[in-house]
Amino acid sequence: MLFDRSTTDDSRDMHSFTISPMNVVRITNDAVDLDVLNAFQQLQPDDGSDLIVELIDLYLQDASQRIGEITEASAKGEWATVNRAAHNLRGSSSNLGVRHTAEICGELERADGRLARAAVAELIERLKAELVRASELLIAERQRRLQ
Amino acid sequence: METFRMTLKQPAPKRVLVADDDPVMRLLITTILKQQDCEAVVANDGREAYRILQTDSRFSAAILDMTMPFLEGLDLIRYMRSERRLMRIPIMMITAAQDIKLMASSFTAGATAFLPKPFTPEQLQSAIRMLLGNRDSTRRAA
Repeated sequence: MLFDRSTTDDSRDMHSFTISPMNVVRITNDAVDLDVLNAFQQLQPDDGSDLIVELIDLYLQDASQRIGEITEASAKGEWATVNRAAHNLRGSSSNLGVRHTAEICGELERADGRLARAAVAELIERLKAELVRASELLIAERQRRLQ
Repeated sequence: METFRMTLKQPAPKRVLVADDDPVMRLLITTILKQQDCEAVVANDGREAYRILQTDSRFSAAILDMTMPFLEGLDLIRYMRSERRLMRIPIMMITAAQDIKLMASSFTAGATAFLPKPFTPEQLQSAIRMLLGNRDSTRRAA
Protein backbone atom coordinates (compact mmCIF):
# COMPACT_ATOMS: atom_id res chain seq x y z
CA MET A 1 0.00 0.00 0.00
CA LEU A 2 1.39 3.35 -0.96
CA PHE A 3 0.66 5.63 1.94
CA ASP A 4 0.29 3.13 4.70
CA ARG A 5 2.07 4.69 7.62
CA SER A 6 4.07 2.28 9.68
CA THR A 7 6.48 3.79 12.12
CA THR A 8 7.95 0.71 13.69
CA ASP A 9 11.43 -0.51 12.85
CA ASP A 10 9.77 -3.52 11.27
CA SER A 11 8.66 -1.24 8.49
CA ARG A 12 12.18 -1.43 7.15
CA ASP A 13 11.98 -5.15 6.62
CA MET A 14 11.89 -6.08 3.00
CA HIS A 15 8.29 -7.10 2.65
CA SER A 16 6.79 -4.50 4.90
CA PHE A 17 8.70 -1.53 3.62
CA THR A 18 6.18 1.21 3.13
CA ILE A 19 6.37 4.88 2.49
CA SER A 20 3.93 7.01 4.28
CA PRO A 21 2.76 10.54 4.90
CA MET A 22 4.54 11.79 7.98
CA ASN A 23 3.05 14.28 10.29
CA VAL A 24 3.40 17.20 7.99
CA VAL A 25 5.82 19.38 9.78
CA ARG A 26 8.35 21.61 8.20
CA ILE A 27 10.72 19.17 6.66
CA THR A 28 14.05 20.13 5.26
CA ASN A 29 16.62 17.69 4.08
CA ASP A 30 18.84 17.36 1.09
CA ALA A 31 17.42 14.04 -0.09
CA VAL A 32 15.43 15.64 -2.88
CA ASP A 33 16.25 18.54 -5.14
CA LEU A 34 12.78 20.03 -5.38
CA ASP A 35 13.86 22.37 -8.17
CA VAL A 36 14.50 19.35 -10.37
CA LEU A 37 11.15 17.83 -9.47
CA ASN A 38 9.18 21.02 -9.87
CA ALA A 39 10.74 21.74 -13.26
CA PHE A 40 8.26 19.16 -14.58
CA GLN A 41 5.52 21.63 -13.70
CA GLN A 42 5.90 23.03 -17.19
CA LEU A 43 4.46 19.80 -18.58
CA GLN A 44 1.34 20.23 -16.45
CA PRO A 45 -1.73 19.25 -18.51
CA ASP A 46 -4.91 21.36 -18.52
CA ASP A 47 -7.14 18.57 -17.27
CA GLY A 48 -7.12 19.63 -13.62
CA SER A 49 -4.75 16.92 -12.50
CA ASP A 50 -1.45 17.73 -10.84
CA LEU A 51 1.41 16.11 -12.72
CA ILE A 52 3.89 16.55 -9.87
CA VAL A 53 1.54 14.84 -7.41
CA GLU A 54 1.07 11.98 -9.86
CA LEU A 55 4.82 11.70 -10.35
CA ILE A 56 5.39 11.60 -6.59
CA ASP A 57 2.73 8.92 -6.11
CA LEU A 58 4.07 6.76 -8.92
CA TYR A 59 7.65 7.21 -7.81
CA LEU A 60 6.99 6.24 -4.18
CA GLN A 61 4.95 3.23 -5.18
CA ASP A 62 7.54 2.07 -7.69
CA ALA A 63 10.48 2.72 -5.34
CA SER A 64 8.86 0.66 -2.63
CA GLN A 65 8.41 -2.25 -5.05
CA ARG A 66 11.97 -1.96 -6.35
CA ILE A 67 13.41 -2.05 -2.85
CA GLY A 68 11.40 -5.19 -2.17
CA GLU A 69 12.82 -6.74 -5.35
CA ILE A 70 16.37 -5.71 -4.47
CA THR A 71 16.12 -7.07 -0.94
CA GLU A 72 14.59 -10.36 -1.99
CA ALA A 73 16.90 -10.91 -4.96
CA SER A 74 20.05 -10.10 -2.98
CA ALA A 75 19.06 -12.65 -0.34
CA LYS A 76 18.88 -15.25 -3.12
CA GLY A 77 22.07 -14.06 -4.79
CA GLU A 78 20.17 -13.12 -7.95
CA TRP A 79 22.47 -10.29 -8.92
CA ALA A 80 21.03 -9.60 -12.35
CA THR A 81 17.68 -8.83 -10.72
CA VAL A 82 19.36 -6.68 -8.07
CA ASN A 83 21.27 -4.77 -10.74
CA ARG A 84 18.23 -4.23 -12.95
CA ALA A 85 15.96 -3.07 -10.12
CA ALA A 86 18.68 -0.72 -8.85
CA HIS A 87 19.23 0.56 -12.38
CA ASN A 88 15.55 1.33 -12.82
CA LEU A 89 15.27 3.02 -9.46
CA ARG A 90 18.36 5.08 -10.20
CA GLY A 91 16.81 6.26 -13.45
CA SER A 92 13.58 7.56 -11.97
CA SER A 93 15.33 8.88 -8.83
CA SER A 94 17.88 10.89 -10.76
CA ASN A 95 15.20 12.25 -13.05
CA LEU A 96 13.04 13.49 -10.19
CA GLY A 97 15.95 14.92 -8.19
CA VAL A 98 16.04 12.18 -5.55
CA ARG A 99 19.79 12.42 -5.50
CA HIS A 100 21.21 10.26 -2.74
CA THR A 101 18.83 7.42 -3.50
CA ALA A 102 20.11 7.53 -7.07
CA GLU A 103 23.71 7.42 -5.84
CA ILE A 104 23.14 4.38 -3.64
CA CYS A 105 21.31 2.66 -6.49
CA GLY A 106 24.37 3.29 -8.63
CA GLU A 107 26.42 1.29 -6.14
CA LEU A 108 23.86 -1.51 -6.04
CA GLU A 109 23.86 -1.63 -9.81
CA ARG A 110 27.43 -2.83 -9.66
CA ALA A 111 26.87 -5.30 -6.83
CA ASP A 112 27.56 -8.93 -7.55
CA GLY A 113 28.63 -12.12 -5.80
CA ARG A 114 32.11 -10.72 -5.23
CA LEU A 115 30.80 -8.12 -2.84
CA ALA A 116 30.46 -9.33 0.75
CA ARG A 117 26.91 -10.09 1.77
CA ALA A 118 27.23 -7.70 4.71
CA ALA A 119 28.28 -4.88 2.39
CA VAL A 120 25.23 -5.44 0.17
CA ALA A 121 22.98 -5.58 3.22
CA GLU A 122 24.44 -2.30 4.41
CA LEU A 123 23.83 -0.69 1.03
CA ILE A 124 20.23 -1.85 1.09
CA GLU A 125 19.73 -0.46 4.58
CA ARG A 126 21.20 2.86 3.45
CA LEU A 127 18.88 2.82 0.46
CA LYS A 128 15.83 2.25 2.65
CA ALA A 129 16.85 4.96 5.08
CA GLU A 130 17.54 7.40 2.27
CA LEU A 131 14.22 6.69 0.65
CA VAL A 132 12.45 7.33 3.93
CA ARG A 133 14.19 10.72 4.09
CA ALA A 134 13.23 11.44 0.50
CA SER A 135 9.65 10.34 1.03
CA GLU A 136 9.28 12.79 3.92
CA LEU A 137 10.07 15.63 1.57
CA LEU A 138 8.10 14.27 -1.33
CA ILE A 139 5.00 13.70 0.78
CA ALA A 140 5.29 17.16 2.29
CA GLU A 141 5.55 18.58 -1.23
CA ARG A 142 2.58 16.49 -2.30
CA GLN A 143 0.45 17.79 0.54
CA ARG A 144 1.55 21.36 -0.07
CA ARG A 145 0.41 21.09 -3.68
CA LEU A 146 -2.94 19.60 -2.74
CA GLN A 147 -3.79 22.33 -0.25
CA MET B 1 -23.88 31.17 -57.93
CA GLU B 2 -22.52 27.84 -57.09
CA THR B 3 -21.10 27.46 -53.65
CA PHE B 4 -18.37 25.13 -52.78
CA ARG B 5 -18.14 23.63 -49.42
CA MET B 6 -14.85 22.11 -48.50
CA THR B 7 -14.54 19.81 -45.58
CA LEU B 8 -11.10 19.48 -44.17
CA LYS B 9 -10.54 16.07 -42.74
CA GLN B 10 -8.73 16.07 -39.41
CA PRO B 11 -5.49 14.18 -39.75
CA ALA B 12 -5.31 11.08 -37.62
CA PRO B 13 -3.14 11.60 -34.55
CA LYS B 14 0.35 10.23 -34.74
CA ARG B 15 0.65 6.98 -32.85
CA VAL B 16 3.73 6.38 -30.77
CA LEU B 17 4.75 3.13 -29.12
CA VAL B 18 6.08 3.73 -25.60
CA ALA B 19 7.78 0.78 -23.90
CA ASP B 20 9.12 1.32 -20.41
CA ASP B 21 8.75 -0.60 -17.18
CA ASP B 22 9.14 2.60 -15.14
CA PRO B 23 5.70 4.17 -14.45
CA VAL B 24 7.29 7.59 -13.85
CA MET B 25 8.83 7.54 -17.30
CA ARG B 26 5.62 6.33 -18.90
CA LEU B 27 3.69 9.20 -17.33
CA LEU B 28 6.23 11.80 -18.45
CA ILE B 29 6.39 10.53 -22.00
CA THR B 30 2.66 10.07 -22.44
CA THR B 31 2.00 13.54 -21.01
CA ILE B 32 4.26 15.11 -23.62
CA LEU B 33 2.82 12.99 -26.40
CA LYS B 34 -0.70 14.13 -25.48
CA GLN B 35 0.47 17.74 -25.58
CA GLN B 36 1.77 17.09 -29.07
CA ASP B 37 -1.59 15.59 -30.09
CA CYS B 38 -0.18 12.11 -30.36
CA GLU B 39 -1.69 8.86 -29.28
CA ALA B 40 0.53 6.79 -26.99
CA VAL B 41 0.34 3.03 -27.20
CA VAL B 42 1.91 1.87 -23.96
CA ALA B 43 3.77 -1.34 -23.17
CA ASN B 44 4.95 -2.08 -19.64
CA ASP B 45 7.89 -4.22 -20.70
CA GLY B 46 9.77 -5.43 -23.75
CA ARG B 47 7.70 -8.55 -24.28
CA GLU B 48 4.48 -6.56 -24.30
CA ALA B 49 5.97 -4.18 -26.85
CA TYR B 50 7.08 -7.12 -29.00
CA ARG B 51 3.56 -8.55 -28.95
CA ILE B 52 2.07 -5.23 -29.99
CA LEU B 53 4.58 -4.90 -32.82
CA GLN B 54 3.77 -8.35 -34.14
CA THR B 55 0.32 -7.22 -35.18
CA ASP B 56 0.56 -3.44 -35.35
CA SER B 57 2.98 -1.42 -37.40
CA ARG B 58 1.05 1.86 -37.67
CA PHE B 59 3.43 3.89 -35.54
CA SER B 60 4.97 7.25 -36.28
CA ALA B 61 7.71 6.56 -33.73
CA ALA B 62 8.76 4.29 -30.90
CA ILE B 63 10.27 5.31 -27.56
CA LEU B 64 11.96 2.43 -25.82
CA ASP B 65 13.67 1.96 -22.51
CA MET B 66 16.98 0.18 -22.77
CA THR B 67 16.58 -2.04 -19.70
CA MET B 68 13.27 -3.85 -19.45
CA PRO B 69 12.16 -7.24 -18.18
CA PHE B 70 11.80 -10.14 -20.64
CA LEU B 71 13.10 -8.28 -23.68
CA GLU B 72 15.56 -5.40 -23.70
CA GLY B 73 15.24 -2.27 -25.78
CA LEU B 74 18.19 -3.25 -27.96
CA ASP B 75 16.53 -6.56 -28.86
CA LEU B 76 13.37 -4.69 -29.80
CA ILE B 77 15.31 -2.36 -32.06
CA ARG B 78 16.96 -5.30 -33.79
CA TYR B 79 13.58 -6.93 -34.29
CA MET B 80 12.08 -3.73 -35.68
CA ARG B 81 14.96 -3.20 -38.05
CA SER B 82 14.66 -6.74 -39.35
CA GLU B 83 10.96 -6.45 -40.18
CA ARG B 84 10.12 -4.69 -43.42
CA ARG B 85 6.85 -3.24 -42.06
CA LEU B 86 8.61 -1.78 -38.98
CA MET B 87 12.01 -0.78 -40.26
CA ARG B 88 11.13 2.82 -41.15
CA ILE B 89 9.74 3.70 -37.72
CA PRO B 90 12.08 6.15 -35.95
CA ILE B 91 13.16 4.85 -32.56
CA MET B 92 14.39 6.76 -29.53
CA MET B 93 16.24 4.82 -26.87
CA ILE B 94 16.09 6.09 -23.29
CA THR B 95 18.45 4.80 -20.65
CA ALA B 96 19.91 5.57 -17.26
CA ALA B 97 23.11 3.79 -18.25
CA GLN B 98 26.06 6.10 -18.44
CA ASP B 99 28.05 4.05 -20.86
CA ILE B 100 28.99 5.57 -24.19
CA LYS B 101 29.24 2.06 -25.62
CA LEU B 102 25.51 1.61 -25.09
CA MET B 103 24.81 4.66 -27.16
CA ALA B 104 27.03 3.26 -29.89
CA SER B 105 25.29 -0.13 -29.62
CA SER B 106 21.89 1.55 -29.91
CA PHE B 107 22.87 3.38 -33.07
CA THR B 108 24.48 0.29 -34.52
CA ALA B 109 21.28 -1.65 -33.88
CA GLY B 110 19.29 1.04 -35.66
CA ALA B 111 18.16 3.63 -33.11
CA THR B 112 17.37 7.08 -34.45
CA ALA B 113 17.94 9.02 -31.23
CA PHE B 114 19.33 8.38 -27.79
CA LEU B 115 18.31 10.17 -24.60
CA PRO B 116 20.26 9.50 -21.40
CA LYS B 117 18.71 10.01 -17.96
CA PRO B 118 18.52 12.26 -16.13
CA PHE B 119 16.99 14.74 -18.52
CA THR B 120 15.14 18.00 -18.14
CA PRO B 121 11.54 18.45 -19.33
CA GLU B 122 12.84 20.60 -22.19
CA GLN B 123 15.25 17.89 -23.31
CA LEU B 124 12.51 15.28 -23.30
CA GLN B 125 10.11 17.57 -25.15
CA SER B 126 12.60 18.49 -27.82
CA ALA B 127 13.81 14.90 -28.23
CA ILE B 128 10.23 13.72 -28.82
CA ARG B 129 9.53 16.62 -31.16
CA MET B 130 12.66 15.81 -33.11
CA LEU B 131 11.78 12.15 -33.27
CA LEU B 132 8.29 12.83 -34.58
CA GLY B 133 9.57 15.22 -37.18
CA ASN B 134 12.18 12.80 -38.30
CA ARG B 135 11.11 9.93 -40.50
CA ASP B 136 14.34 9.55 -42.41
CA SER B 137 16.19 7.60 -39.72
CA THR B 138 18.84 10.26 -39.33
CA ARG B 139 20.81 9.35 -36.25
CA ARG B 140 21.18 11.85 -33.47
CA ALA B 141 21.99 11.98 -29.82
CA ALA B 142 19.20 13.95 -28.19
